[in-house]
Amino acid sequence: MDLAIETTDLIKRYGSIVAVNHLNLKVESNTIHGFLGPNGAGKTTTIKILVGLLKPDGGRVTVLGEEVQGDNPDVRLKIGYMPELPRFPKHLKGYELLDIYGKMYGISTQERKIRIQRVLEIVGLKGRERDFIGEYSKGMQQRLGIAQALLSEPELIILDEPSLGLDPAGMVEVRGVIKEIAKEGVTVFLSSHLLYEVEQVCSHVSIIHRGACLASGRLEEIIAKISGPVMLEVELAEESEDVFEVLKNLPFISKIQRENKTLIIKLETTDDVRPQISQAITKAGGIIVYMNMKRRGLEEAFMRLIMKS
Amino acid sequence: MVYTSRISEKVSKKPKFSDRFLAVVKYELLWNIRKKKFLGVLIAAFAFSTLSLLLPVILSHAFGAPFEANPNFVIGRGGISSGFTLFLFALVSVMNSISGEFESGTIIPLVTKPVSRSIIFFGKVFASLLTISAAYSLLYAYMAIGGTVIYGPQNNLHLMPLCILGDLLSTFVWVSIVLALGSLSKNTILTAISAIIVFLAISISAPIVSVFSEGAWILNYVPGNGASGYVKGANQGMLPGTSVTTGTDSITSNLVRYILSPSEKVTYFKVEVGAGIKELYSEPLSTVLSRSMLVALAYITISTFTAWYAFKNAQVLE
Repeated sequence: MDLAIETTDLIKRYGSIVAVNHLNLKVESNTIHGFLGPNGAGKTTTIKILVGLLKPDGGRVTVLGEEVQGDNPDVRLKIGYMPELPRFPKHLKGYELLDIYGKMYGISTQERKIRIQRVLEIVGLKGRERDFIGEYSKGMQQRLGIAQALLSEPELIILDEPSLGLDPAGMVEVRGVIKEIAKEGVTVFLSSHLLYEVEQVCSHVSIIHRGACLASGRLEEIIAKISGPVMLEVELAEESEDVFEVLKNLPFISKIQRENKTLIIKLETTDDVRPQISQAITKAGGIIVYMNMKRRGLEEAFMRLIMKS
Repeated sequence: MVYTSRISEKVSKKPKFSDRFLAVVKYELLWNIRKKKFLGVLIAAFAFSTLSLLLPVILSHAFGAPFEANPNFVIGRGGISSGFTLFLFALVSVMNSISGEFESGTIIPLVTKPVSRSIIFFGKVFASLLTISAAYSLLYAYMAIGGTVIYGPQNNLHLMPLCILGDLLSTFVWVSIVLALGSLSKNTILTAISAIIVFLAISISAPIVSVFSEGAWILNYVPGNGASGYVKGANQGMLPGTSVTTGTDSITSNLVRYILSPSEKVTYFKVEVGAGIKELYSEPLSTVLSRSMLVALAYITISTFTAWYAFKNAQVLE
């Protein structure tokens, strides 16, 4: 397993408060990894350690195979980072800022021109690049934050609450951008408190609370593990013993509960197996009147996990 | 929508030092030249320069005295600026260079770029050097042209580059002190207030210590005007010569004086109430000049190192 980010027993204290408490985190390369936790869980502190803004009090941090220790510009060369509510110098114009940042990455003048136009188009700031950043709204600064994170075409993009301050249309656009860049083999590490956003874009998640990791892995697996198995409710036209017997023998069904003509089926898989079940029922002579898959969401899993801890 | 062009170069090789350094310099330069405070001080400096050019003309007209050409008007003054002007240029140039970035949060995107904090710090210092050099060059050029037009052809204009260097050295004593205060406090108002307090405390106490005590030598080792003395020449007030100061703010005037009269000596004195002036001791102007330059360099080195160390190790909490 190729890891983009790995923390081992990471510790960060602010005086007597332990913000990050022996955090062990593994982020696979080429995934969109959601980083979740309630307010004050230690998400932003962890991210700040990853990008070198804070020094850990203990543990080890590796980003793209390189250990993060002190001021290490070589690691940052491969990272695009958008902080939570980014702020940029008001005296610069949008284009000037991106041009200066591009130069810091060693991108040639010609290439900078092309890339700046491309990222401005992606984040919807084209036409406003010659305005001073001081004249930008919060949403526009947020878009500029995403643009500067994409500019160097990094291997790893760390986004801290990318949708904060954006209007609903902007949020949808950002999700689209995240999915698009991930398709091209970029690892996206995304911190967000919008669980539906994480559910829509992330393939993997890590949930932290009080600085420690409570769960980490593939999104569906985490949901299934925390919220229990997926349930399928099937209503038949008539009660049928044959249907019950056939379904009982399907490998992905662990339990069937009968309530007159309704069957409550407990699945052992998180995959969508409705077609197989429908086919089996029809083969056994049953007629399906109604079928509903009760898939539990990330929100429920998250709440269960936090309440439990 | 295509995120990467793929035909474009990937950022895989380490950027050149010069690229990163110049990017920081451009970042800071654009800030410096757009700072209202800096532009305000520059305009004020031009206004004072204009006043100093025109005041003798106005006074001679007002009192009906004949107006005479003065070939030493520009260089004979020993620099364009008073200690206060040098301090002001330093203050407005760098008071928020470091602390302002922390306060506004702009430090976060800046220090997470592939540029070391040392490059960021020294890029900022270099940008302030360029900005102040440009401002001083403009002021000297203005004075040279104005002086020639009003007071006739000027002597020793070839010393102008040296005067600019001298003023820069004096200014950078304050620049480095302000930078250190900014890096340590990460608060612009606190930086400005503490720098002004330091400047005023030294400026007010220095003449008192210098004139009324025998411990004036200590002023040779603090920034500012330094101790007061005189060199032999035309009487100036109660002094049997021309008044000079020996501190880091007086490097340019002493440099010009030394080049024009290398053998001059500075005599220190004490004013005793009822007894008049008591001569304390004398030392060559070359000693005064070299000591003030070494003291300036020491302050610049120590304060810059303090500022750099604090910035390099600062954690970005907010």
